[in-house]
Amino acid sequence: MFKRILFATTASPSCDHAARVAFDLAQRYGAELMVLHVLGIPTRGFSQYVVDVRTGEEVIYDEDYLQWVKEEMKNTYAKQIAQCGACTLEALPGVPHTEILRAARKKDADLIVMGPSSKEGVGDSRAHRRAAGSTLQAVAKGARCPVLVIARAAASFWGGFSNIVFGTDFSKASDSAFLFAYRIARNLHCTLHLFHALDITSTHTGKLLEQDEIEGSIREARKKMQDRYVSRMKDLDDYELEVWEGIPYVEIVKYARENYADLIVMAHHTREPDPERAMLGSTMEQVVLRATCPVASVNRPDKVKDDG
Amino acid sequence: MYQLVTGPLAWLSFGVFFIGMLVRVVLYIKGLDTQLDRVTYRVNVAYGLRGALRSVVRWLIPFGTRSWRINPGFTLVFFLFHVCLIGAPLFVQAHSILLKERWGFGLPTVSDATADLMTAGVVVAGVLLLLRRIALPEVRFISTAYDYLLLAIAVAPFLTGFLAYHSAPGYRFWLIAHILCGQIMLVAIPLTKLNHFALFFLSRAQIGMDFGIKRGGMKGTGMPW
Amino acid sequence: MPEGTLCNKRPVNTKEELQALLADKSGKTYYEEMNRLEVDPKVLQATLRRTFRSRFRTWLDMCAHCGLCAESCFLYLANKRDPRQVPSYKIQSTLGEIVRRKGRVDNTFMQAAMETAWAKCTCCNRCALYCPFGIDMGVMFSYLRGLCFSQGFVPWELKIGSGMHRIYRAQMDVTVEDWVETCSWMAEEYEDDWPGLAIPVDKEGADIMYTVNAREPKHYPEDLAEAAILFHIAGEDWTVPSEGWEETSLAMFAGDWEACRLQVESVYGAMARLKPRRMVVTECGHAYRATVIEGPYWAGIKTGKPPVESIHYVEWVAEALRTGKLKVDPARKIKEPVTYQDSCNYIRNAGLSKCARQIMGYIAEDFREMKPTREHNFCCGGGGGFNGLGRFREQRNIGLKVKMEQIRATGAKLVVSPCHNCWDAIRDLEEIYEVGVKWSFLKPLLISMVEVPEHLTPKDE
Repeated sequence: MFKRILFATTASPSCDHAARVAFDLAQRYGAELMVLHVLGIPTRGFSQYVVDVRTGEEVIYDEDYLQWVKEEMKNTYAKQIAQCGACTLEALPGVPHTEILRAARKKDADLIVMGPSSKEGVGDSRAHRRAAGSTLQAVAKGARCPVLVIARAAASFWGGFSNIVFGTDFSKASDSAFLFAYRIARNLHCTLHLFHALDITSTHTGKLLEQDEIEGSIREARKKMQDRYVSRMKDLDDYELEVWEGIPYVEIVKYARENYADLIVMAHHTREPDPERAMLGSTMEQVVLRATCPVASVNRPDKVKDDG
Repeated sequence: MYQLVTGPLAWLSFGVFFIGMLVRVVLYIKGLDTQLDRVTYRVNVAYGLRGALRSVVRWLIPFGTRSWRINPGFTLVFFLFHVCLIGAPLFVQAHSILLKERWGFGLPTVSDATADLMTAGVVVAGVLLLLRRIALPEVRFISTAYDYLLLAIAVAPFLTGFLAYHSAPGYRFWLIAHILCGQIMLVAIPLTKLNHFALFFLSRAQIGMDFGIKRGGMKGTGMPW
Repeated sequence: MPEGTLCNKRPVNTKEELQALLADKSGKTYYEEMNRLEVDPKVLQATLRRTFRSRFRTWLDMCAHCGLCAESCFLYLANKRDPRQVPSYKIQSTLGEIVRRKGRVDNTFMQAAMETAWAKCTCCNRCALYCPFGIDMGVMFSYLRGLCFSQGFVPWELKIGSGMHRIYRAQMDVTVEDWVETCSWMAEEYEDDWPGLAIPVDKEGADIMYTVNAREPKHYPEDLAEAAILFHIAGEDWTVPSEGWEETSLAMFAGDWEACRLQVESVYGAMARLKPRRMVVTECGHAYRATVIEGPYWAGIKTGKPPVESIHYVEWVAEALRTGKLKVDPARKIKEPVTYQDSCNYIRNAGLSKCARQIMGYIAEDFREMKPTREHNFCCGGGGGFNGLGRFREQRNIGLKVKMEQIRATGAKLVVSPCHNCWDAIRDLEEIYEVGVKWSFLKPLLISMVEVPEHLTPKDE
């Protein structure tokens, strides 16, 4: 299912859960695993200085510093590395999301695994936080392959899954997310939950909706899901279909919780060029923060085409 | 004594002055190099000329550049000093008479009162410049004995001239002293920093060409002075 | 005479030498070796004889010690008017001395000269505007840097920097393959949002050939994407060269004239190969100065102009706004008070202040000028390589004060800063002094406010 996995880590305890999943996945599918740590944000103009991503301090980036970081990484993941087959460690300076996407492209990764986007832990300077926006959001937007985010301790391990929730907003990107969710559900023999959250927040519609209207929209959505997704599920009978109204991320998290979801798959995309404004409106980011299970973001069809 | 200073010494000093300045100017121009200076002197000539002219003329006008404008006191003293320094020897009656006697032509002259004012202007401005040099730390720090000496050389002919003309006691002495001081100044001009007499124009023209051709002049904005 | 393995009179020409230097943490061994580096007075003297001509000689001789240059220098002001920071003194005590002693100077002197040339002057050329004789101490310091470099007394980071240019023809280790690959990557990544977006490589006869700063593909490729998007919206016929794509010059900061020549020749080579109508330079000040203004002389071009008409990014933006190729949506203009950083290399030394003001007129509602402004504006504090020199970090941080005060005095909340080094300097001064400003290049601001023609908007699903 996966041949080349990129695990982007901050090499700090917050990524431990993600590390566990990444190494587990690599072992299970016999995939090449690249562990990448982007260690410092460089200047725009000429300078050897980088802002260390973990401490927020300015350090001079040189061979010494790099080796030290790599040593730390090796120690942190010593056990897992020992068990893993083809595993490489990489550390380099750069803007995290840029280097993650660059590495994914270069390696032709078919999955990116990340820890939570911890703003407190990142510790980069105020200036860089403003400038860079959210690493997660940028990676999810730009990645050609699915991005799996493990923010909290996964209650189960990959392979022991029973329920996968696929959240859709009927966008083109959601089609790709669907394909991914479908493949995994088939591969792991679990129940696929197709879910749509009907957005009734007044900011979105500008007014309070009548109950008839809401129920009408729910019916429409159910039909859409049948046409668009269920019709393509040839080898999978074990599925559920649901539409709830409310604030999208709240409904998704609730639904996932109620159905003991082991994985949520969604599309994440935004056209807003200003990362700060886009950040606040991102349903997926909210789901990542609040869900009790890993969340996969899929935007593009490149790596999810059905190959059996 | 008088014969000596107005005869051979005069020839010598004026000779050194004229030939010396000519040599200075020629050497300066010869020593310019398009490649090393990174300015195309012979290409883009129109821009070069425009830049050179603006560079010289703006700086010859009191408050014509920002640098003059933000140092108003210094600017006033500076211009007083230089205008009088050049004006007095050229337009004072006593010199004109000598010229007429020696060479057959004279220059337009100013009244005695004006001449006195100009001479006083040089001396007063000179003293103010001296005080400035001593009082301001950034100027004092970079000043050397040479600077003070040059100021003295420049002011001496005016002081002595004033005293000589107004028949101060020891007139004879002051006259000889004035002539000698003048000759020292003449000789000093090509041989010391006083060569800015001509090099001011050349140096300003050069930097004007630099900015006029290379550093903005051709993109249509005004000179930055 | 013995020379160190890292610190010596030879420039860096091979990858191994470069790696060795890079591996030396903060140049520790390099600077230790520098303490034992001997000066070769004969070579210095020969260089002087060959290159020190009447312009410099006159400048050094004629200085009347009037002190007007003092207040023109931001380092003098930032260092509480320390008389040792008077530009005249700085140059006389270094280059002046070398000339007076005919090159017979020792190691201690040269290290002090190195510190003066790289930590007490950014070659911003502001003093040239204030000296009655038009003495340009910035130009003389650049010359002094060349002398120091030739004797091996150059700061560690710049020895590396000029080595980069010699080996990669770029200020970072970005190969041609990396560069072209980054271009396709950016085009692909942003294509969804901008249908038809492309970064054409090596297209001949295009209207615009675009060259960049190597930091962009190496660390900040979105800059490339943003430039591409703006050209795309403006409907420009443009291209980037696969070779000769980088137009910065750390070699210029280092005083390595040969590397300067090699670097600009690679760009001129691209111009010759692709024959564009003109070249547009990215938002970088010294790149423009090096490639467009000084470059032709290093390359021996008699007209003093690059082979192809070359403009700075602000010139292109001003033109695009004027001609309507880029239209700003009035509702999205910058509403908060905003000021403009006049970078020395393309404002004071290239006369583009009018373009900058035109742009601000289109994009800002509350534009405030710094005082003084335009050609008389102060150096950001980090120019001439100052931002990157670890050994002189403290001096650089002090130097930032003047720009900080200027920004504070405008009351602006945003500083527009179309120059990589100025951008860094303002970021650093915000970090240290916490003025409370944001700062930005032009590209992201423009993208957020230009109207996108209908046929370029992505089709909704």
